[in-house]
Amino acid sequence: MVDFLTLGFLQRSLMAAVLTGGVCAAIGVFVVLRGLAFIGAGTAHAAFAGVALAYLLGGPPMPFAIAFGLGTAWITGLLEERGRMKLDVSIGISYTATMALAILFIGLMKTYNAEVYGYLFGSILSVTADELKLTAGLAAVVIGLLALFAKEFFFLAFDQEMAEASGVPARRFFFLLLTLVALTIVVSLKTVGAILVFALLLIPAATAYQLTSSLHRMMAYSVAIGVLVSVAGVLLSFQFDLPTGPAIVLLATGVFFVAVALSPKRAPKPALS
Amino acid sequence: MAHPRPAHTHPHHADHEHGKPLIRFDHASFRYPQGPALEDITLEIADGEFVGVIGPNGSGKTTMLRAILGLMPPTTGSLQIFDCACQNLRCHHRARIGYLPQKRTVDPNFPITVHEAVLMGRSGAIGLWKRPGKADLAIVRHALEDVGMEDYDDHPLGALSGGQQQRVFIARALAQHPQILLLDEPTTGIDTTTQHNVLDLIQRLHEELHLTIVLVSHDINLIAPLAERLALLKTRLYALGSAKQVLTKEILARVYGPQILTTDTGHVIVADHHHN
Repeated sequence: MVDFLTLGFLQRSLMAAVLTGGVCAAIGVFVVLRGLAFIGAGTAHAAFAGVALAYLLGGPPMPFAIAFGLGTAWITGLLEERGRMKLDVSIGISYTATMALAILFIGLMKTYNAEVYGYLFGSILSVTADELKLTAGLAAVVIGLLALFAKEFFFLAFDQEMAEASGVPARRFFFLLLTLVALTIVVSLKTVGAILVFALLLIPAATAYQLTSSLHRMMAYSVAIGVLVSVAGVLLSFQFDLPTGPAIVLLATGVFFVAVALSPKRAPKPALS
Repeated sequence: MAHPRPAHTHPHHADHEHGKPLIRFDHASFRYPQGPALEDITLEIADGEFVGVIGPNGSGKTTMLRAILGLMPPTTGSLQIFDCACQNLRCHHRARIGYLPQKRTVDPNFPITVHEAVLMGRSGAIGLWKRPGKADLAIVRHALEDVGMEDYDDHPLGALSGGQQQRVFIARALAQHPQILLLDEPTTGIDTTTQHNVLDLIQRLHEELHLTIVLVSHDINLIAPLAERLALLKTRLYALGSAKQVLTKEILARVYGPQILTTDTGHVIVADHHHN
């Protein structure tokens, strides 16, 4: 066990798992509490379309993924804020439109490019040192901003209008949150892929939600669960030659159902006077 | 059509027994996309005053509070809060206005403790970047003591009864150390005994902390004994003055129509108790 931990690619994969699992689980708390789950799904597919366009044009994938992801998150956020149409409808449109764009860009490529599919399904075991540095840099930005503005984001998640009324510039923080969600998704594309990143955003936070009645403890539990299932998923996939993204997500799903079964919130509450 | 003139037994300006005016509506009108919400409101509320806002469903009561919070700019006229136009209200101004919104259901599973909910009230005062200090934690403790909920500090908010949650939200507003406290239907959805407890608490806070209070209620009988002045709204300001001056059969019939009855004891009965 210890021997294979000395392998360079596995060390990089484990570090990527810690970073991705941690940052997805941290931002996922606000995604779950603020009800932004499907914005995450739409943004992930948009980021993948950006990657596909980058490969088509021969450009760097990350800036394209960031531009597409941010654009979609902001447009969906604006539509939600203005209430022009139901959120599920606007996300459904952006989700399918960006996926259609991705398929179109892939179709326009002259040759088959396996690397593009790596961003769709994730390929954490092939993370390079440069990609790891980029992941670490983006993760530091996201975690740093979340830590810096934790109280504002918690208030926003609980009651955005009250936050605005209490002197918190809640609208700006809402768009900052969308920006951080988009950046987190881009960080995770290489690790778990555009399809499964959605699960890593939701499942650790939803699991932590089952286990505590405190915002701060929910954040701590979510990050711990996100890091643990990501690392365990990488090790399992290495040991049993399984695809890594699905191993991480299915492990997280298993932990979620255990948490639901053991949740103290399911226990009958004593009546309060 | 000529608009009815408000039945003012007092002028629009604030009572001079109190401090200087903190809230000044000057011929202010507010609109929602679907139509006018408030029209031509002229009203001053002084520092330390307790004003009750009454009116039928959809009369603009909640809109008035949202306007004072700076969440709705006037389409015509002006609204000044702390000598600042409401559309220019900055975060530090808002931090001085405590707000208890209409009771909304707290998801019983939402992971938030009583302490965390009340500490949120300090967010505006603490400012961006900064973390709550010992002084903020002491303020939270005092706010919980003020509403008699100090023993519930670590309880999940969603597990409390409706009346207890309302007390916690009042504590959150108090934790802001507000100069103005806006209360929107604070007794809705809680039992009669708790209603009186909550109103006694509000009255005590007004007297002890000298808070300027604007309380919206559809229940005229609950609010009338507490407020120093009543503002009767139906999109326009129909009447302004003491309860005795505002709650006359003529004025009430004009605003509420035939659905209102006044008993010999001065009790007001409105046939439609629903509100929005």
